[in-house]
Amino acid sequence: MNKADLIRAEEKKTPKRTIDVVRAGLAKRYRAEGRFKLYGLGAIIISLLCLAILFISIVGKGYPAFQQTFIQLEVFFDPAVLGQENLSSANFPGLVKKTLRNMFPDVKGRSDKRALYQLVSTGAAFQLREMILKDPGLVGKTVSVWVPADDDVDMLMKGHFDRKMSESGGRLNNKQLAWIDELSRQGKIEKRFNTIFFTSGDSREPELAGIGGAASGTVLTLVVTLILSFPIGVAAAVYLEEFASKNRWTDLIEVNVNNLAAVPSIVFGLLGLGVFLNFFGLPRSAPLVGGLVLTLMTLPIIIIASRAALQSVPPSIREGALGVGASKMQMVMHHVLPLALPGMLTGTIIGMARALGETAPLLMIGMVAFIVDIPTGFTDPSTVLPVQIYLWADSPERAFVERTSAAIIVLLAFLIIMNAAAIILRKKFERRW
Amino acid sequence: MAKKTVLLATALVFIFVVSTGVVNAQSARDYISIVGSSTVYPFATVVAEQFGKTTRYKTPKIESTGSGGGLKLFCAGVGVEHPDITNASRRIKKSELEKCQSNGVTEIVEVKIGYDGIVLANSNRAKPMKLSRKDIFLALAKEVPDPKGGEKLVANPYRTWKDVNPSLPNIRIEVLGPPPTSGTRDAFVELAMESGAKKFDWLAALRKKDKKAFKAVAHTLREDGAYIEAGENDNLIVQKLDANPNAVGIFGFSFLDQNTDKIQGSYVDGVQPSFDAIASGDYPLSRPLFFYVKKAHIGVIPGMEGYLAEFTSEKAWGPDGYLADKGMIPMPDAERYKYRADVAKLRVLTALK
Amino acid sequence: MSPTTLFAALLMLSAAAFYFGRQRAFAIAGKAGGTRHLHSRPTYYGLLTALWCGIPALLIFVLWLGFEDKIITNLVIADLPNAIRHLPENRLNLVVNDIKNLVTGNIVAAEVDATMQAGAAHYRSLQATSNAALAVVALSLGIVGAVGVRSRISRTLRARNLVEQVIKYILIACSCIAILTTIGIVLSVLYEALRFFKAIPITDFLFGLKWSPQMAIRADQVGSSGAFGAIPVFLGTLLISAIAMAVAVPVGLMSAIYLAEYANRRFRDVAKPLLEILAGIPTVVYGFFAAITVAPFIRNSGSVLGLEVSSESALAAGLVMGIMIIPFVSSLSDDVINAVPQALRDGAYSLGATRSEAIKQVVLPAALPGIVGSVLLAVSRAIGETMIVVMAAGLAANLTLNPFKTVTTVTVQIVTLLVGDQEFDSPKTLAAFALGLVLFIVTLFLNVIALKVVRKYREQYE
Repeated sequence: MNKADLIRAEEKKTPKRTIDVVRAGLAKRYRAEGRFKLYGLGAIIISLLCLAILFISIVGKGYPAFQQTFIQLEVFFDPAVLGQENLSSANFPGLVKKTLRNMFPDVKGRSDKRALYQLVSTGAAFQLREMILKDPGLVGKTVSVWVPADDDVDMLMKGHFDRKMSESGGRLNNKQLAWIDELSRQGKIEKRFNTIFFTSGDSREPELAGIGGAASGTVLTLVVTLILSFPIGVAAAVYLEEFASKNRWTDLIEVNVNNLAAVPSIVFGLLGLGVFLNFFGLPRSAPLVGGLVLTLMTLPIIIIASRAALQSVPPSIREGALGVGASKMQMVMHHVLPLALPGMLTGTIIGMARALGETAPLLMIGMVAFIVDIPTGFTDPSTVLPVQIYLWADSPERAFVERTSAAIIVLLAFLIIMNAAAIILRKKFERRW
Repeated sequence: MAKKTVLLATALVFIFVVSTGVVNAQSARDYISIVGSSTVYPFATVVAEQFGKTTRYKTPKIESTGSGGGLKLFCAGVGVEHPDITNASRRIKKSELEKCQSNGVTEIVEVKIGYDGIVLANSNRAKPMKLSRKDIFLALAKEVPDPKGGEKLVANPYRTWKDVNPSLPNIRIEVLGPPPTSGTRDAFVELAMESGAKKFDWLAALRKKDKKAFKAVAHTLREDGAYIEAGENDNLIVQKLDANPNAVGIFGFSFLDQNTDKIQGSYVDGVQPSFDAIASGDYPLSRPLFFYVKKAHIGVIPGMEGYLAEFTSEKAWGPDGYLADKGMIPMPDAERYKYRADVAKLRVLTALK
Repeated sequence: MSPTTLFAALLMLSAAAFYFGRQRAFAIAGKAGGTRHLHSRPTYYGLLTALWCGIPALLIFVLWLGFEDKIITNLVIADLPNAIRHLPENRLNLVVNDIKNLVTGNIVAAEVDATMQAGAAHYRSLQATSNAALAVVALSLGIVGAVGVRSRISRTLRARNLVEQVIKYILIACSCIAILTTIGIVLSVLYEALRFFKAIPITDFLFGLKWSPQMAIRADQVGSSGAFGAIPVFLGTLLISAIAMAVAVPVGLMSAIYLAEYANRRFRDVAKPLLEILAGIPTVVYGFFAAITVAPFIRNSGSVLGLEVSSESALAAGLVMGIMIIPFVSSLSDDVINAVPQALRDGAYSLGATRSEAIKQVVLPAALPGIVGSVLLAVSRAIGETMIVVMAAGLAANLTLNPFKTVTTVTVQIVTLLVGDQEFDSPKTLAAFALGLVLFIVTLFLNVIALKVVRKYREQYE
């Protein structure tokens, strides 16, 4: 027998102690533990990293949109060009073109002149028109006006375009670049805060496009949703939680409500299309129909949140009310409901926040047309902010990419405010029974 | 108890139905409703915006549904719930005119607004392609003449452009084009596919014998994934071309003109698409653009004459107008005067000549 | 009196009725020697009066207004000159539309001729009469109701019970709306889907392999073959959902485990809300992000690695969808893991298990039903997601499992088919409803199973 056999025989005789076995594997187990913990932490970091990348990429793309390049024009409101009667339909584009020609007198040739006119946005003519209509006394005077520049000029000033691009590849030719440089030398071109973005409606020209119309449509739609869904949701939750007898029907209703909360939003859009538009004949693209569809979507969320809030009120409160002789309805209305109200409000805010970001069902009911006017009533054709983002996302112009990102920033800001309000409300009114 | 609940529920529904009557009462339409072609959409929206901003009327509401889809909605009848105007990137067909007549849309004013070229574009990052119409037909038809020869058709076997024509690059055929609702599709199959098919003698003979069978051959596009119907949103196609240098897109010239920093047009029969080439007729794939107006709605829906006047004014559709700036090729002077006169008189379309 | 003023007047009348009813109750109570001699508290008498005043009046108000328009329109038409009256119906409704525009003072189409003016004047006068009549009827009904009830107020009138009955009915009505919604969805989608299945056999739809729905829309047009085999579309949905779950489940689950077991209070307080933000971002933003940032990135990396990646790969859409779903898996699993009794963990620790071993071998199996439930709910969310895939996935129905190729999903097809051509008689538009029905049934099924699984297995560990 050699030494190895001797050792093996030795080992067979004395059984290993458990503690030795355990100690032998301990290092490995600790390592596995460390790895596991790392996976967990890594997962969270990955999620937060994705969130950060999302925000950074969108904010990065969007914040330049809050500024718009303006060009200063010395406009002489020539009575000869404007004509005497009906100032509203006078040739304002002609006035703009004449002003540009005066600023660059040595530009000749049709295509060169066209290139010159393209430096300034078509909105300049509308701006001059507004000025004259507000104050007809300006005719015959020379006024210095800052008008929006064309979106290509805007992109150049913000540094998105490569100046070295040749005539055929770039959107601005060398002559235009020279004119823009001349304007900068004269101090007549500068970037300012983009109020157009917040006040005007949609437009084909990126520099004139704004979220005013979409924001107004969103407010109208959400008002309809809130007015309809909050009372109905709370009432339904109160009935289901407090008064309904626990039988098969209520079970079915509970399952039903839970399912509705998880149904894809596009199915609600189909419902809106099939029932509200086709069967009832309500007007297309109206905030009223949008609000109705969103109400149906938000209702299950409010019902579930309200029921949870009602359930959290302890039985002692209820017994107390019943003990002094209140009826069931009085108990609910006087004691339970006020205490559950903060939870219900939180649920409603969260439901509204979800409705704010919905796009798919509103596409189905037609809020996807090109609508310029800012809606004022509940039956005016309108669009909402998420749909506006969707529509702009399809436009290839560089300036629209910027504006889409800016619109997303505005939308996210609203959502963060609403969610923060919900969280603050929840924290403030949270009671430990 | 249950009976009372059911009663209550029905009462609720009844009240809701009645209240929609209240809503309907208030909504009398005071804006113009326009549907139709995605090619004409960029032009119509610019005119609509101008119209809305310079007059007291509301800006017309414009939806892009495709020429065919638009004409279908337009011909569904006269009345407030139907559109007033439809844009089309091809002329109305006889079957559509008949459908209009049968649904009571009897007086239609046809307005030609200009010309447009159909381009096959690809990304700037790739080399421009030099195609002939025969190449286009062979690349995109569902059934092509047997490559081995003979007068029969086989399922399209070509995978790459090189298979179709050895002088073309060796990349997979991937074409993003319009769906059947689009007028561009109709114009494309007529101008490009039919001309390409006619290059085969026996198909040209078939055309004389049995037009319908010829059309079935020439107009049917392949469904095996080489031709992808990319919807009515031409802007989206431009984005996809920018992202994928191997793909080719089919749309109107205005989209090429407005995005020259991203895409370039392919040569068709040796001619590159450009403003002048299309205006002079050298570029083979050019077609007129129209819109159709219901005479019955004029004078009843506010603003229609104003919109028509704006669209047919020189500052809109003339050679120096803002529509030409957007890439539309204006009609020659004589045609413009003719159509402006027709619109002023509201001359009704009687027959397709 | 305009409808809005009348509505306000009715509300004020009801408030007045409330006041008077209450006064009367107090008066009677005074005579009897205190409010405790009344059956109900005085407010209830007031409420009863207000309800009997307000509800009948409001009902009449709504019904009257609902039918008013039709009746007035018919009367105005009856008075129009013969020529206009005998116009076909749709021409007539155009004329009516113009008259209504004239009445509301809206911008009118063209020159306003005498007949229009006459029609508009007639409409206006009829409307004025109707409004006046409505005001009289509604207000008098309200007053009658109020007075009638007030006179009945006595010590023994069981006001509270009556009021509570009415409130209960209102509550029941509101609950019914939730059920009506489901019924509405099922009916509307089912009805159109059945019309679709009349044209296309259901087996073709469910088992067919070719999806080219863009049929010809005219008799003389040549379109696609109109094949409605939905398998490629279903497969596309499954592929993208699978990629999304492959991203979301590991990341979400591990995040939940870390937050529940390892993280200290401060970390949890910061990390949890941040993760919730991921859930609150609108999907259109994710779609934009996917189309503009993620898809080109994947495409470029793919070409660097030598792979041929489509610019609308299933991978891009699936990845972003996965990121969106992480918080669903994470927060639901977090709740479930927290609900596992501490006793189980303590038992494991007392036997010498490390934390990860306790989690892997005790806590997770205990929480498994809940986790499975949350995963199923996440899958149902992924399947029903629309905007991310509309913006980042493609339109061509490809029968492939390759994540680098472009596929289309059920939701994309629904949107493509319905935004645009709106005729409800072609199989093309109806196909969207058939797809919607399938989507609804599948998500319903998943939700019910998730709920059942959670409920059934929860008991075993209590």
